[in-house]
Amino acid sequence: MLRTLGNGSARRAGSQLFYARCRQRYASSTTVSQEPEHRDIVIVGGGPVGLALTSALRSSKAVSDALSIELIEASPLSKVSEWNPGPDAFSNRAVSLTNASVEFLRDIGAWEHVDEARTCAVEDMQVWDGLSDARIAFSAPEHLSAPQMSRMTENLNLQRACLRHLAASPSPSVKLSENTKVASVVQEGESEDGWPLVHLSDGRVLRARLLIGADGPNSPVRAYARIPCYGHAYATSGIVATLFHAPPHPLSANAHNSTAFQRFLTTGPIAFLPLQGGSSPQVPGSYGRPTTSSLVWSTTPELAKALIGSGEEVLSLMVNAAFRMPDVSLRYLNDIILSAHRSGTTISPEALREEIGFRERAHGVPGHASMLLEGSETMGMGMPSEGEDLLPPLVHGIQKGTPASFPLRYNHAEVYLGGEKGRGRTALVGDAAHSVHPLAGQGLNLGLADVRELVRCVEAAVRVGGDVGSLPALEAYPRARYLANHTVMSTCDKLHKLYTHGSALSPVVWARSVGLEVVNEMDTLKAGMMGAAGGRPEDALRAGLGAKTNWDLAVKALGAVGGAVQAAKIVRGVVGGVVGRATGRAP
Amino acid sequence: MASSVIRPLSRSVNPQEIAFFSKLSAQWWNENGEFGLLHRMNPVRTQFITDKLDLKGLDVLDVGCGGGLLSEGLARLGARTVGIDASASNIQIASHHASTDPSLATTLTYRHTTAEDVLSPPPSSGSGGISIPRQFDAVCSMEVLEHVDDPASFLTTLSQLVKPGGHLFLSTISRTPLAYFLTIFAAEQMLRKVEPGTHTYNKFIKPSELVKFFRELKDEETGKEWIRRWAGSGEVDVRGIVWVPWENQWKLLSRTASEWGGTECNYMFWVRRPEAGPSSTP
Ligand SMILES: Cc1cc2nc3c(=O)[nH]c(=O)nc-3n(C[C@H](O)[C@H](O)[C@H](O)COP(=O)(O)OP(=O)(O)OC[C@H]3O[C@@H](n4cnc5c(N)ncnc54)[C@H](O)[C@@H]3O)c2cc1C
Repeated sequence: MLRTLGNGSARRAGSQLFYARCRQRYASSTTVSQEPEHRDIVIVGGGPVGLALTSALRSSKAVSDALSIELIEASPLSKVSEWNPGPDAFSNRAVSLTNASVEFLRDIGAWEHVDEARTCAVEDMQVWDGLSDARIAFSAPEHLSAPQMSRMTENLNLQRACLRHLAASPSPSVKLSENTKVASVVQEGESEDGWPLVHLSDGRVLRARLLIGADGPNSPVRAYARIPCYGHAYATSGIVATLFHAPPHPLSANAHNSTAFQRFLTTGPIAFLPLQGGSSPQVPGSYGRPTTSSLVWSTTPELAKALIGSGEEVLSLMVNAAFRMPDVSLRYLNDIILSAHRSGTTISPEALREEIGFRERAHGVPGHASMLLEGSETMGMGMPSEGEDLLPPLVHGIQKGTPASFPLRYNHAEVYLGGEKGRGRTALVGDAAHSVHPLAGQGLNLGLADVRELVRCVEAAVRVGGDVGSLPALEAYPRARYLANHTVMSTCDKLHKLYTHGSALSPVVWARSVGLEVVNEMDTLKAGMMGAAGGRPEDALRAGLGAKTNWDLAVKALGAVGGAVQAAKIVRGVVGGVVGRATGRAP
Repeated sequence: MASSVIRPLSRSVNPQEIAFFSKLSAQWWNENGEFGLLHRMNPVRTQFITDKLDLKGLDVLDVGCGGGLLSEGLARLGARTVGIDASASNIQIASHHASTDPSLATTLTYRHTTAEDVLSPPPSSGSGGISIPRQFDAVCSMEVLEHVDDPASFLTTLSQLVKPGGHLFLSTISRTPLAYFLTIFAAEQMLRKVEPGTHTYNKFIKPSELVKFFRELKDEETGKEWIRRWAGSGEVDVRGIVWVPWENQWKLLSRTASEWGGTECNYMFWVRRPEAGPSSTP
């Protein structure tokens, strides 16, 4: 058929030479395989989303019995399969997986291959604002069936689990191609309904009934499908690193290292996310053991570069400062780091300590509370000091080689299915469809929810003999996901903007004009993390709150749990905090 | 083109024709175009069918296959499917579309012919192309009944194309004010979702009329009634299909929706031909 079309178009072009060449190419195609191989589904991208998608498709018997599937990944997946770090070394790329995501991964059979000892439950969350110190505390509500809000998991742990899941249930219809790049995608024939022909770096050509882009923010599939994308780059980079710290005080609320901390600074939010449980009576020998957490620090690209360039010791001092110092002092420290960076040098850790000590004394921080104290200041001696639950443990080291930074952007594809607007037989999932600011830890969770819905469509279509590449087969996918993703994304975007624009206003004006809004947004954020993102719709339904989407559900659930009262208190806190700082008191 | 049987696209067809039919096919298969509603109804029809039987390996005839929507699905589910249509261009469209899909290569055949000619092939047709059976495990005819001039004779032909114990599936539109409003007034005249003139109200057939027809139909071979008066509901089913605009999809109504499952407009009908062998009732 292909040949017929090719010759037909050549004849229409009226070029005898071209026609002859075509024939020649077809004739000599015995050595270099140009004849496309048919695949029902081609997935481009073996990141966490692409691998979860492959796993999910494999776990559906109806789908893997009926369809041929091939995943194309440019990097070596075998490295992911063989990934086997020591128990105290952690990858710098970790995500907070919501309960809904974990449950989905469990349903498809991938979660049982996750090394759970390397994951960490997040039970509480402390979020506060760097100017006013208005604070909101989240904890997993009692009525949730899982006693956690989310679970910190290294991306590699999850990707490896998907690969192990696929290896444990091999199928002739599911193929993984690593070290293979999609070189180009072209449309078959000249008609608008031509199938995508995927040209691979290994010389093969795949003819795809459905081409799925799980190929990240610069998605080549999105480009082929001609799906426009709107968004903007934030003038922001996300620094990630693996942090070592003393275990939290065993009598504090954070004894198990299960609290996530996030402070919104005027340069962007900084988050401290637990990776490894702290001391626990259930874990023999864990008492006093050093503990690990993950850093996600959004800041200006220049500062990110300067901080990473200054070395791990300076970075860890700055992380401690960023959670503890008033905004003015932080800006001062940032300036020191930046001016050293601009003149091509770096500040020494000793010099930075001196600066921090000086600022602490100026703010009246008592000696025993200094962040410069060596070692683990609590170590289980005596009672935890007041307010200890409100701050993350002091970082005393950073795992070698883990500091890195990523440009952050907001991006949302106009449609998820090429058939709606561009070239058909294409679908986008995960970061190929949307990139979101990491401040709510939602990016991958949204991607996994995409996967769940897309697989649901594919499975439903297979059951009725549908063409899984056709629009009617797939259109329930964007209907289930587009608005849900947009709600989460725009909330994160708004929060980011509120904070990064706050620096232009005087703190008092800022707090008055946006303080309330911030609290509201934080409430939405909380809802998102525990609802769209965390809790399950069934939980909220059980609590007697009928609603349509998870996100709506969570917002309502909060109202019922007393969100309004809390918000009122925090508003008072916002103003109080500003006044406190205006009179020079340390927060 | 003069011959009554047009074989699926073959190399003998000239390129201009390929281009013409590929364009027509693109239009027919454009899921957002005029046939969009039909595309979206198809999963519901297929579900109605697969709820009754496993299609794998069965011989199935799709009478009035149009562009091949239902036929392709049946073939993908493993049925050896023959799609027939009285319109030569429909068969060209269907053949062209199927030829792009390798999963249909061995299971799907299209013929430009009529149900009557399948039942008793005219002597002139010869043995061109792959031979097709005279009787089928299942015969489907979707949205055809409301367009034929002599429904009784059409239904009789269909019934004779079903093997003993086989299945007959129909979908059509009931003759009710609601059906008039939705299919003629709204869809054709107001929204122009369907070409005006597509439907004629007095050709619409009510579910009760279909049931009556098959109650009175005595099986050709066994003399058994297709629907026995005192038998349970096991061998006949009528279910309404409604368009749910906010979900952009059709839904098959449950039998509890009303006497015949909300059949005020579009509905599906299923009946089974009696098994061969002597009648159990005297
Ligand atoms: C600092 C930071 C912190 C984050 N924290 C969280 C969090 O706490 N929670 C959360 O849910 N999310 C978080 N995210 C977001 C999360 O990391 C992403 O949403 C997720 O990684 C997206 O996965 P993906 O598989 O869609 O895309 P990617 O991970 O980008 O994978 C795309 C894959 O496609 C492959 N590819 C691309 N082009 C080609 C080609 N031409 N040929 C072959 N292969 C190709 C690439 O090699 C890559 O493997 C965070 C992101 C950042 C930057």
